[in-house]
Amino acid sequence: MHQQIPHESAALHVTGEALYIDDLPSSPSLLIGRVVYSPYAHARIVSYDLTKAREAPGVVAVLSAKDIPGHNQMGPVVKDEPCLAAEGVTFIGQAVFLIAARTDAQCRAAEKLIDVKYVPLEAILTLEEAIAANNLLGPPRRMQRGDVEVALGSAPHVLKGELRTGAAEHWYLETQAALCVPGEGPEMTVYSSSQNPSETQKLVAEVLGVKKKDVVVEVRRIGGGFGGKETQGNHVACWSALLCRATGCPVKIRLFRDEDMIMTGKRHRFLTRYEVGFDDQGKLLGVKFELNSDAGAATDLSFAIMERAMFHCDNAYYVPAIDVTARVWRTNLPSNTAFRGFGGPQAMAAMETVIDRVARYLHKDAAEIRQANFYGLEQDNVTHYGQVVENNRLHTIFDQLMKSSEYAARRKAVQEFNAANEFWKKGLALTPVKFGISFTTSHLNQAGALVNIYSDGTVLVNHGGTEMGQGLHTKIQQIAATELGISIDRVRVNATNTSKVPNTSPTAASTGTDMNGMAVKHAVETLKDRIAECVAALFNERDPSAVHTAKGDCCFESDVIFDSRHPERRIGFAEAIPQVIVRRVSLSATGFYRTPGIGWDKTKGVGTPFRYYAFGMAVSEVLVDTLTGAMTLLRTDILHDAGDSINPGIDTGQIEGGYIQGLGWCTTEEIKWDSAGNLMTHSPDTYKIPTAKDIPIDFRVTLLEQATNPNAIYGSKTVAEPPFMLGLSTWMAIKDAISAVANHTVEPEYALPATNEVILLSIEKLRNMMKVNASEPVHA
Amino acid sequence: MKNCIAFVLDGKVVEVAFGTTSLFTPTTTVLNYLRGLPHHRGVKEGCAEGDCGACTVVVGELTAAKKVEYRAVNSCMLFLPMLHGKQLITVENLKGPAGELHPVQQALVNAHGSQCGYCTPGIVMTLFALYKSASKPSREEIADTLAGNLCRCTGYRPLLEAAAEACSGDGRDEFAKDEARVVDLLNSIPCEGISISSGEQCYDQPASLNACLALLEKRPDAIVVNGATDVALRVTKEFEVLPQIIDCSRIDELREVASDSGALTIGAGVRVSEVMKIVRHDFPAFHQMLELFAAGQIRNVATLGGNVGTASPVGDALPVLIAYGASFILRSRKGTRTVRAAEFVRGYRKTERRTDELITSIVLPRPSARTKIRFYKVSKRRNLDIATVSAAFKLDLDRGGRVDDIVLVYGGMADCTKRSVTTEGFLKGKPWDRRYVEEAQRLVDNDFSPISDVRGSAEFRRIAARNLLLKFWSETNV
Repeated sequence: MHQQIPHESAALHVTGEALYIDDLPSSPSLLIGRVVYSPYAHARIVSYDLTKAREAPGVVAVLSAKDIPGHNQMGPVVKDEPCLAAEGVTFIGQAVFLIAARTDAQCRAAEKLIDVKYVPLEAILTLEEAIAANNLLGPPRRMQRGDVEVALGSAPHVLKGELRTGAAEHWYLETQAALCVPGEGPEMTVYSSSQNPSETQKLVAEVLGVKKKDVVVEVRRIGGGFGGKETQGNHVACWSALLCRATGCPVKIRLFRDEDMIMTGKRHRFLTRYEVGFDDQGKLLGVKFELNSDAGAATDLSFAIMERAMFHCDNAYYVPAIDVTARVWRTNLPSNTAFRGFGGPQAMAAMETVIDRVARYLHKDAAEIRQANFYGLEQDNVTHYGQVVENNRLHTIFDQLMKSSEYAARRKAVQEFNAANEFWKKGLALTPVKFGISFTTSHLNQAGALVNIYSDGTVLVNHGGTEMGQGLHTKIQQIAATELGISIDRVRVNATNTSKVPNTSPTAASTGTDMNGMAVKHAVETLKDRIAECVAALFNERDPSAVHTAKGDCCFESDVIFDSRHPERRIGFAEAIPQVIVRRVSLSATGFYRTPGIGWDKTKGVGTPFRYYAFGMAVSEVLVDTLTGAMTLLRTDILHDAGDSINPGIDTGQIEGGYIQGLGWCTTEEIKWDSAGNLMTHSPDTYKIPTAKDIPIDFRVTLLEQATNPNAIYGSKTVAEPPFMLGLSTWMAIKDAISAVANHTVEPEYALPATNEVILLSIEKLRNMMKVNASEPVHA
Repeated sequence: MKNCIAFVLDGKVVEVAFGTTSLFTPTTTVLNYLRGLPHHRGVKEGCAEGDCGACTVVVGELTAAKKVEYRAVNSCMLFLPMLHGKQLITVENLKGPAGELHPVQQALVNAHGSQCGYCTPGIVMTLFALYKSASKPSREEIADTLAGNLCRCTGYRPLLEAAAEACSGDGRDEFAKDEARVVDLLNSIPCEGISISSGEQCYDQPASLNACLALLEKRPDAIVVNGATDVALRVTKEFEVLPQIIDCSRIDELREVASDSGALTIGAGVRVSEVMKIVRHDFPAFHQMLELFAAGQIRNVATLGGNVGTASPVGDALPVLIAYGASFILRSRKGTRTVRAAEFVRGYRKTERRTDELITSIVLPRPSARTKIRFYKVSKRRNLDIATVSAAFKLDLDRGGRVDDIVLVYGGMADCTKRSVTTEGFLKGKPWDRRYVEEAQRLVDNDFSPISDVRGSAEFRRIAARNLLLKFWSETNV
């Protein structure tokens, strides 16, 4: 426990032996599936003819909505997402037909033979258009505390503005994929790259018109998820399942990269309007937020995402009076979905903009304003939804990081550099993250496990979480091995399988280890109890002296079970197991966990939605070429709270990876659609995630010490999503560098992502403004 | 050797036949070939366009010194016949005889270098080639080498650390022990040209320049490739069937380099990664451009001739070549001619090259010590990105500090690489002072009508283009 052991699949990864969906051994009858999608953002389907395509060489099936034996729906929460479009299409990339053939080339040839007539309709493609057309996806929501109007009215200073944050593509390296293998009668096994196998099972059963007992979903590992396979992994599974059922053959679909990018949802774009009132010291007195998100064509998880945004628009700051209004808008784009941070990043970007503006307005260092507004330890420690910020580490992290990053000295150096350089400007910024851990949909906070111990003393652990690179299975392996006091190589974590652990929640909301780890621990405790009883009896039988071993005396350590009061009474773990079997005691146990202490009133927007908060901070320094908009990330220092880390190697990797993903969202990752709703950035040729050359030249990541978390397994704390939002430190540092062009006297125009174009155009505006200002006396 | 190629895989010579009954066509990619085999599924498709590196494999090639040289390449863009006479190494080949991990694999495990693992086989292969280069790379060189491998999980830091740990040695490993045997195997493969005809396609890989020129005359419609890193996209992304291909990658004459006091002559078939070594000292602006040219796996197959031959309006090489006053040698059976780089491109992807001609070499005149040449690339991401705007500028000042000669070439500002003639004319004879440069900045606008596209708005392009002139001044006014 608390050791830096490598990822359980590391050796398989580096040898190429790790199997992903597309690598699974295939049978000679395997068919390749292909999705034919809508070329229109909004259109009516008038007619289609599949005859020629069905007769094409190698083609075994061509399906339309009419061929769906069950329910034509795959909306995860709201049933507003058809599996195949029937009467009309509502975005480019929406599935309309499915083809199964021997080869992909045959599928593509057959696709050209499908004759379909659409009547294009007017499409809504931007938030502005959606707002203008009042195209709300559902009723607006509101959370408030205090009287914002009074606070703003009496505040010494008031600023308002708006911020746009962009969409982003998950860019998991493994595109969406599923392989369906038919069984007897209604049975089917689905090998899926899904973060939510239970939901995949449910939706496959529904579209096939069978029961869940007939469908088994198995996920060995996911080649990257990041939220993109929380709901939208279901789609390819449903499509493959339909083709599998229609043909009676195994069918595999792996989306081509461009098609994956075109067909699947992104991070929600946000348009946030804000108004802030503050005093001379920069203390926030009241903030009003109006959050608008672009849901795309269907609901997916948009309301839950907006809810998390509402919970996180305070980020790390106490705001006495706050009013958050949230609206989710429908557009004719693929349905946007979960993405690491789940609305948190968009809301935090707005709050950090507020803080940054206050600092510039008051000519103060933004870090000072941040510190002045952090949630307090004893007071000012209740969020706008009424949850107390307990075990608040903000002040500890801030103090340590300001020192270790040499913030003050570097601030001075940056100022000197900027004074001495006309064309190059540096920027420096610290940003915090406070992130609530738990599903805000409270019933999802449950997990199950099934642990089997075999007669040779080896252990197979099943649990409901999926392994997508985050190291969940490694941590689970560590937990099971620690609890049983055995070496880690005796434990294997099985592929996630709906027939082993039923009714599971998605591996999402950063809860994977917290919840599944506890469920596994509970299962292991049951087994230990049974084993201990047998072993105690064994000890007492072998040596019927006055000494008596009770089951509670049995200790499990170093592959040995012994009586803690009489350590000479001992038996090897592997030796003990056959003794348990001889005694006819079960070595298979389930475990279950429900997160305690949470609950909130959705209608009032008040309660304790989170088990605990994760905290972290980053300081980033950038160099901006003010003539080209090019940005170099010079240094980033991160101090993150991972509690008593179960595996510091894995957690550090999550922090670094999350931060770099956030960096991409904040800088180079720009999603663009054209005026017809076509995704223009549909491949890595135009969609730019960070490379090894984009990470900070000097990158220092540290885990907070002495940070035991009382609310999760072994004092640990999840890492997962929160570090993503530390990418905002870079975004703010870039703004600081831009602002230096006008010597921090003017609020620069800014947006997210801060591409080189956004940077250069903002600088150009500042320069022109300066020129006008400089020439004013002449005109006067 | 008609309709058949041979290469070394898994320690033995493998032959692949083409033809109507074959599973493969001459434009089957190495990636798809490998993934069709039962035991080579470690190689992954991440993008099918050479932008992610998940499909990276290593190609071993005989050098003149009878050693094997290892290059990391994107198998998704490599046509199967390009393996002829070479060794193909995949991630499955790296484990030792007793199943022990290769040093680069072990270093990645130790450094927590894999998370989801999907990009990992590609990263292993990139680092394996780096390991074999025994180059003791710096952190920056490692990052540069890895720039062609996208990873969405790790944030790269552990990868850099693993590479630094593993790739600091002399490249000794099991492959070194087996090298003599592999050399013999490679030598056993007949080295004559190949000519494949398979269904609707014919694919020729001539082994000499003369043979190539004869083919060009015979097949005016053929697509000429060397590394094919541009043309391959028509197959892997557009699913086109390319009927006629002439592949020049086996022609030794195209790989010659000659240098004298006046000029450096680089064969059109010299790979970009090789060109980088050749120009590093004497042509720094050229080198600077190549550092931003795609990524390692592409530079390891792409050639200079190919880059200028495609005449992309945003091609990286042409602006610099024009600034250096380079010229291209074009050969056909009828003769040889020289075309100045500045006059080579005639429009969108249109060039001076006749269909029977081949670009055989690029002549780079050595600039005088006083000449200042710079290259700038404005792109959303620094590496492995296509320019929104690029520029190559050349400046000669006279003894009085006046502009004697100036060349201002822009990419991304028009449908082809184009000079800002008005600005050049204005600046000629003027002192190289900021006020003239600022005046000249306005003229840049007049010479171009850039478009808005996915890579940037017209306004952004205009501002960047103007600013680059000021940037050039700021770097050369001392």
